[in-house]
Amino acid sequence: MAIPRRYAVRFVGLVVLLFFTAFFGVPIAWLFLASTKTDGQLLHSTPLAFGSLSTFAHTFHRIITYSGDSLLIWLKNSAIYSFGGTALAILAAIPAGYGLALTHFIGRRTLLSITLIVMIMPATALVLPLFLEMNKLGLYGTVWSLILPFGFFPFGVYLAYIYFSSTIPKDLLAAARIDGASEWGVFRYIALPLARPVVGLVGFFAFVASWNNFFLPFVMTYDNSQYPVQIGLQQLIGSTATFNPADYTAGASVEVLRRPDLAMGVLIAVAPVLIVFLFAQRTLVSGMLAGATKE
Amino acid sequence: MTVTPAPAVPSGLASARLGGRAGRTREQPPTGVSRTAGYWFVALYVGLLLLLGIAPAAYAIYLAFAAHTGGGFASAFHAAFTDYRFWPAFGHVLEFMALWLVSQSVLVVGLVLMLHSMAQRVGAVFRFLFYIPGALAGAASVIVWLFMLDPQASPFALILHWFGYAQFNNTIAPGNLPAIFAIMAFWTGAGGWIVVMYGALNNVPHELIEAAQIDGANPFQTAFRIKLPLIRKWVVYMLVLSFAGGTQLFVEPTVLAPAAQGIGITKYWSPNQLAWFVASEYNQYNEAAVISVVLLALGLVIAGFLVWRGRLFGAD
Amino acid sequence: MATVTFDQITRVYPKSSTPAVDRLSLEINDGEFLVLVGPSGCGKTTSLRMLAGLEHVDEGTIWIDDRDVVKLAPRDRDIAMVFQNYALYPHMNVAQNMGFALRLAKVAKREIEQRVLDAAKILDLQDYLDRKPRQLSGGQRQRVAMGRAIVREPRVFLMDEPLSNLDAKLRVATRAEIAALQQRLGVTTVYVTHDQVEAMTMGDRVAVMKDGVLQQCDTPRVLYDDPVNAFVAGFIGSPPMNLVQGVVTEDGVRVGTASLAATHGLRAQPGHQLTVGLRPESLELGGADGGIPAIVSLVEELGAEAFVHAKIDGDEAATGLTSAAVIARVEPRLAPAKGERIRLRPKPGAMLFFDAATGERIRTAARVPDRR
Repeated sequence: MAIPRRYAVRFVGLVVLLFFTAFFGVPIAWLFLASTKTDGQLLHSTPLAFGSLSTFAHTFHRIITYSGDSLLIWLKNSAIYSFGGTALAILAAIPAGYGLALTHFIGRRTLLSITLIVMIMPATALVLPLFLEMNKLGLYGTVWSLILPFGFFPFGVYLAYIYFSSTIPKDLLAAARIDGASEWGVFRYIALPLARPVVGLVGFFAFVASWNNFFLPFVMTYDNSQYPVQIGLQQLIGSTATFNPADYTAGASVEVLRRPDLAMGVLIAVAPVLIVFLFAQRTLVSGMLAGATKE
Repeated sequence: MTVTPAPAVPSGLASARLGGRAGRTREQPPTGVSRTAGYWFVALYVGLLLLLGIAPAAYAIYLAFAAHTGGGFASAFHAAFTDYRFWPAFGHVLEFMALWLVSQSVLVVGLVLMLHSMAQRVGAVFRFLFYIPGALAGAASVIVWLFMLDPQASPFALILHWFGYAQFNNTIAPGNLPAIFAIMAFWTGAGGWIVVMYGALNNVPHELIEAAQIDGANPFQTAFRIKLPLIRKWVVYMLVLSFAGGTQLFVEPTVLAPAAQGIGITKYWSPNQLAWFVASEYNQYNEAAVISVVLLALGLVIAGFLVWRGRLFGAD
Repeated sequence: MATVTFDQITRVYPKSSTPAVDRLSLEINDGEFLVLVGPSGCGKTTSLRMLAGLEHVDEGTIWIDDRDVVKLAPRDRDIAMVFQNYALYPHMNVAQNMGFALRLAKVAKREIEQRVLDAAKILDLQDYLDRKPRQLSGGQRQRVAMGRAIVREPRVFLMDEPLSNLDAKLRVATRAEIAALQQRLGVTTVYVTHDQVEAMTMGDRVAVMKDGVLQQCDTPRVLYDDPVNAFVAGFIGSPPMNLVQGVVTEDGVRVGTASLAATHGLRAQPGHQLTVGLRPESLELGGADGGIPAIVSLVEELGAEAFVHAKIDGDEAATGLTSAAVIARVEPRLAPAKGERIRLRPKPGAMLFFDAATGERIRTAARVPDRR
């Protein structure tokens, strides 16, 4: 054969890599670029061409003010639910992980098993039961119907558990106890100062999960003023001309959105998570998680 | 649904020293150490666990078995199983999962093996790139793919035309839905699993790779006969966790629906959607509870299976 | 069976200025058991890995028979290697581990089974063929690693400190087994260790390395009797050779406060600083005159022999020596007591002289040891 096998293999590998780079990357790139173009440009210019900054600014303004500044309301809601939930998750998970890892009490192992099981179980399985329960408790329609579930984060407990068991030598605790520290003192003066990385990790995952959660808010909120940005995005689809020609031609009084507006909306909605991803990049990709899973 | 993988699961099962290990005596703390302080540390979490984990599940089970309107004990089950929408919903989801799980396993394994044979820093760039779509998990990813699937505006227009789709409505024909959802799920989820598997590959001692080289293995043989068997358990975890998450599919079909007005994609395409539908439209809480319980049971069985088998995996 | 030649092999790691291996040249004969020995960081493992193809070669060539293998991948060099940590494939059982390379080479299944069985018999592994590595003891794993190499019937065996993870007793037993095995199979073997006792007992020839440079490559006897510099002299032998300071005088050598008779033909100017090498077994308890005065600090009774640790009286003016500790081997019944003043007399012709500055051996015309 004309080409030595080694080069043929490399070539195929390169092609595959390029294909997947395009698969994963082009949609994201397109999202950014689409927000800089007009709808006409989207249809007729090459897909990855840049539009203009003025179009970008214009579209930005349009979507922000759409339907009475809805996007801002949604963003505010998302922030409340996510930050609230994340704060609660950290507050609960870090001490719990510590307790599971480094203290002794009857039922410790049972609690650990339960945590693992609940963690592996998909969270969506509980959404409808939660809805029914919140309904019964009268919390339906309040922020608590979202913050409380977001604060319940078994995966965070597990992360904290792994972290504390592997980074704090038992001897250190023994030394502290001998020095006269109470259990709380040991936690506060020994464990907590060393806990920054895991607080960051738990916060990261809790925040991303809360911000991107759709099913739970879908079920728990019923009014535009309560929607987080994920639900809001779905509303936007309904108002986008391309996807709902029926509404449009019926002459409804609903303002009409075009593709770039929707793209911009998505961008704004995912911006916080994207920013967090960028900051966490090194830790994540280095496989720190997998490092914690060394046996 | 778009499952955020719980990546660090497996080894915890090894280090958790769960009750499966025979002969382990009752926990004894060193003398002088409090046996009750631990309760305070886990108090808030346990409270949340009871309120938001155990209680809703118990309530759902109660509702599922309680009297359905006009029926007797556990009559809701009958109502659910004979609902003409129930079995098709599971059928849709199973079709989706078949496509998704197979493609995800093959592609994630292939990509991670490829990345692992590259230089560290170069691989890191790709890993991060593949991970970014995870930030859009949820409604955002659906919208992005709505654009990608629109032959008129998509950068992938050429490919779509090649398939014979001239219009958006062609692309999202109901028969294509399982494949479309599989693509979305893969797009957001693969990156996370690639990162996890890459970490697992790094745990393979370098000496083993060298020994394989000396034994005469070329890079493919090293990858498939040495590396892959040693990350086998992670592949299994990925499959099992994805299976569990896949059954719960909700976001993608729900968000897609308004964009597909003319197609007749129903509001009860997936089981979770059906549950919400009967609860919100008809206040049939009991039937909704039945579906929830079925899905819950599925998730529990799978989770229990993993936790139980986990110690076998842990021993490696 | 093959010859191996290192020709000016050099390896410099990217971030460092000194070479890890510096122009190593060595010819290994067909069927020879050659040991590379030296302290940590001397370059022995790097050299072995370059031979294996696991380490980049910056300069020089390596020949296996008449093939230049530097550009060849490990799999094309027809070599087998035993790793320090055995590197057994955890997901395969013993038989599969041993047969892996043959399976890759698409050898017929029946032949693989036969060869694996033969190797297993040699190593006494027949009962363990379907066990996984985690079910084996350290010694058994080590044998599987050897079995994996034997089955390949390669041109060269490479061994990277295969005994260092075994406990002391097992090490001694396995040492003899490996040496016997190599004799029986007759395969050219390059063996790396940091333990000079291993090197001396196993090797046909031993190559001593330090800081990337080959110091001397000879049979164990020659290395022991005729070291080429002070480092080799002090490295080989247990207990180690005593190395004390001395100075050339008109009629001989002064060590400490003692004047020792000249050894014929010591070509050096009076006043020249020397390092004098004295093996423990070449020191006798001297009489009233003759010999180096010393004070006994410790006596080790070992049953068949005793080792006396003593401090030589120093003569700082002449030799720069304040005092030096030496070890002398004596008949156990003649051992002095602790604190006793003794005189230690070197046996005739047993002193070795090295330049104090360079460590190079200064040979005397008087006596050249037999090369047996």
